[in-house]
Amino acid sequence: MSRLSPRLASRLLIAASNLLPNHLSPWARAMERELAEIEDDRSALLFAAGCLRAICGLAIAERLGSPRAAIRRLPFPPPSTWRISAMKLVPTRPRTLALVCGAGAVGLGMAYMAAAGAPSRYLIVNLAALILGASLWLALGRAAGTGPRQPGAMILALAATLVLTAFFGMAADGATRWVSVGPLNVQVSLVVLPVMILLYSREPQGIGTAGMGAAALALALQPDRAMAGVLAAGLIALLLARPGRLPLVAAGSAVAAFAWTMIVPNTLPASPYVDRILFTAFDIHPLAGLAVVAGAAALAAPALAALRGGTDERPALIAFGACWAAVVAAAAFGNNPTPLVGYGGSAILGYLLSGALLPGGAVPAAGRKRSGARAAGGDRADPGSSELSVPNLA
Amino acid sequence: MTRKRALSNHARALLGALLDAGGRWSHGYELASLTGIQSGTLYPLLIRLEAQGYLEAEWQQPAAGGRPPRHAYRLTTAGQRLARGEAIAGADAGAGWSKREPARS
Repeated sequence: MSRLSPRLASRLLIAASNLLPNHLSPWARAMERELAEIEDDRSALLFAAGCLRAICGLAIAERLGSPRAAIRRLPFPPPSTWRISAMKLVPTRPRTLALVCGAGAVGLGMAYMAAAGAPSRYLIVNLAALILGASLWLALGRAAGTGPRQPGAMILALAATLVLTAFFGMAADGATRWVSVGPLNVQVSLVVLPVMILLYSREPQGIGTAGMGAAALALALQPDRAMAGVLAAGLIALLLARPGRLPLVAAGSAVAAFAWTMIVPNTLPASPYVDRILFTAFDIHPLAGLAVVAGAAALAAPALAALRGGTDERPALIAFGACWAAVVAAAAFGNNPTPLVGYGGSAILGYLLSGALLPGGAVPAAGRKRSGARAAGGDRADPGSSELSVPNLA
Repeated sequence: MTRKRALSNHARALLGALLDAGGRWSHGYELASLTGIQSGTLYPLLIRLEAQGYLEAEWQQPAAGGRPPRHAYRLTTAGQRLARGEAIAGADAGAGWSKREPARS
């Protein structure tokens, strides 16, 4: 049998080790080297999958608190510490709260889908999207200190993907909104539009405004009533939080695009486990319905930090809240995807990517208090690497 | 140092396997196979045990040349005390815990 799959898994583990802080990364190396010793491919892949889960869990726990807490939470998380962490997140860590809310919503959605008898592939796709999104969230967090260097150019590039999708994407029932990625159909606007709104909210500039105009045009062309409404909601909220000529122009173009899509008939039928589940979930079981509603409602929670956030942070938080509230509203009022709680990885990626751009989430590495690291094995460190060390929890 | 919380079945199974190995060094996959613990649970456990001083870890050069070093583990004296204490507590409670029993997830 080919050793290609274990080799790829090994590469993946090496890449994932970058998510860990330095004092834990030797453990990822230990996992990767152990993987090389497993002869059976299936066993090696299962081992690699578990290791990847461990690395992601450690990385997320690390981001949620101190290194000491990261170790203490796994694998026996004391509930009291989670409650304390959650309380701390609300006023000061909207970015981290976005990850928690996103993961919670996906989890509630998976519970609903399992109860509703959805194909197991749907659950796997959502879980894979969550893992990918969380990884990107972590990766973006490492570069989030100063924010994107060229937000206007990034907005323009993302708008170009929407325009290209409108012309060359997959069409269904008169709408052209998707691109095919392997066996999956990705709704590009759900991934990039929230990111564009967050980027624009940081600093509305001329190039960014042109990008938002291009996005509005693309959504009118596709046509996509729901996402045009989302764009309008996000930009109107931004305009209210940060009045100015450029935000006014951007909001005006979005409202015009939304008005156009309201005229064009929307003939897309509802898809099971994707559309209208805010209502149909209650037919399965009241708890399934509550799970879906609670998961959807949680999506705007990070914006609550705007109540306490500084003036500079407020526009991004308000735009984020308006954007995702509009996605949920679109799902409630029409045959549009129910974000995160329904089947579909596009919204999961879009939520976590836009959440990664929220302010105030990353703990600066220099500000982290490290407890005294202790080398395991004393002087017997890996000759080709740094010593294995983790915080002393004594 | 003192433990404030009861150990999970996985932790007890891992301690049992390490205790069974005596002073011999064990590797990650070997421990996973012996205990039935998935790697996603095993490594956080190892990290925690090592951080609390119950486990020794070191990089070892394999006997066969040309292969990269492997990470190996064995209990410290404190870890052996903990593992024996857990074994006795498990037997006293009639839980039927065995160091060979695969952990349930």
